[in-house]
Amino acid sequence: MCLKFRFDNIAAILCLAAFSASTYAGEASLNLEFPSPAYTASSFSSNSPPLMVALNEVNDVKDQNAIPSSSKAEFEPSFFTGSNLHKYLGLGTVALAIATAVAPKPPEIEDRLPTPAEVSAQDSSTHAKLGRATATMAAATVASGLITHWGDFHLEDGITDPDNLHALLGAAGALAIMYAVSKAPDEGHAGKGIFGGIAMGVAVKLTW
Amino acid sequence: MRKNTSYIVILACVLLVNSTCAMAEENFIGWLLDFGRTKEVRPIDNELYQEECKDCHFAYQPGLLPARSWEKLLNTEALRDHFGDNAEIDKDTLRIIHDYAVEHAADKSYYKRSRKISATTPANSTPLRITKLRYIERKHDEIPDKMIKDNNDVKSLSYCDNCHTQAEKGVYDNDTVSIPNYPDWDD
Repeated sequence: MCLKFRFDNIAAILCLAAFSASTYAGEASLNLEFPSPAYTASSFSSNSPPLMVALNEVNDVKDQNAIPSSSKAEFEPSFFTGSNLHKYLGLGTVALAIATAVAPKPPEIEDRLPTPAEVSAQDSSTHAKLGRATATMAAATVASGLITHWGDFHLEDGITDPDNLHALLGAAGALAIMYAVSKAPDEGHAGKGIFGGIAMGVAVKLTW
Repeated sequence: MRKNTSYIVILACVLLVNSTCAMAEENFIGWLLDFGRTKEVRPIDNELYQEECKDCHFAYQPGLLPARSWEKLLNTEALRDHFGDNAEIDKDTLRIIHDYAVEHAADKSYYKRSRKISATTPANSTPLRITKLRYIERKHDEIPDKMIKDNNDVKSLSYCDNCHTQAEKGVYDNDTVSIPNYPDWDD
């Protein structure tokens, strides 16, 4: 029970992180540079002596053009972006789906109704926990993809467009995984789960 | 259970076969086993092409235009009036550059962005300007003029590398965009 609670908590945290990070992903990265390039440029253009002294390069900055401005060479792409979040959530989902498939499963009960103890054992098995985590992560992946890559999705480009196919397979895969988890431990849920995992794997590969 | 498994196998096969449509000209097994990233535009790996183009402007990757466009752009006559400038080069160099551009053109590349350029360019049109490609126009249509035309450090969409900080590597994604004078720009 305690384990299940902890696992559900982790899944919920992952989901929340996905949504909150997606919301803030595109925001400008924190600029701790001081003084700002704009301030430096304006100050030097008016030959501000205090700033020149502060930079300790008074003799080197005779020419205003010598002031370094922020250029593309200095630009460092932020690691915390919506695209990166979506990418790692997608890879994580595929990894979790594989882990779910290979994780030890509880013994199947076919000819009778399972006892409460058996139901509890099935529910708290590693396979079940991984399955639920995969479904949560798949949902977070689809949500983050819709938010961060909405502009890449154009219906008029047709089904063979890599981004359209990626979106379609990814969404279908996530739905299949969630459906499989909702149907577990019934017979046949494995097929839906495997289909979902493969669909998401192919979706990742298509736009890798 | 066995029946279900066979359905899954059939569905998986359909998915895999369908995905080959998106990667048309690439050998499927080769593509499947290639774990290198191909989501952008193939970077230039021909030194001569790089040097000759870079002498005057940013060396645009061949994957940014379809082969028919390169055919029309890279011949002696066309280079005499290369967007208003004479860019004539010797025949041997031209042949190498032409062949390289055509071989790695958008419609022959399996890189994702090239495929999207190719797919969104009507078959009956031969665009000569990358900035006039439907895909490129669509990707930039929400950026106001003040950030491009009226921005002295950008001037035109033609100067890809003014904003796309990794354009030389063929990377044009949003995460690597930095518009000069507009550090807070967000797509």
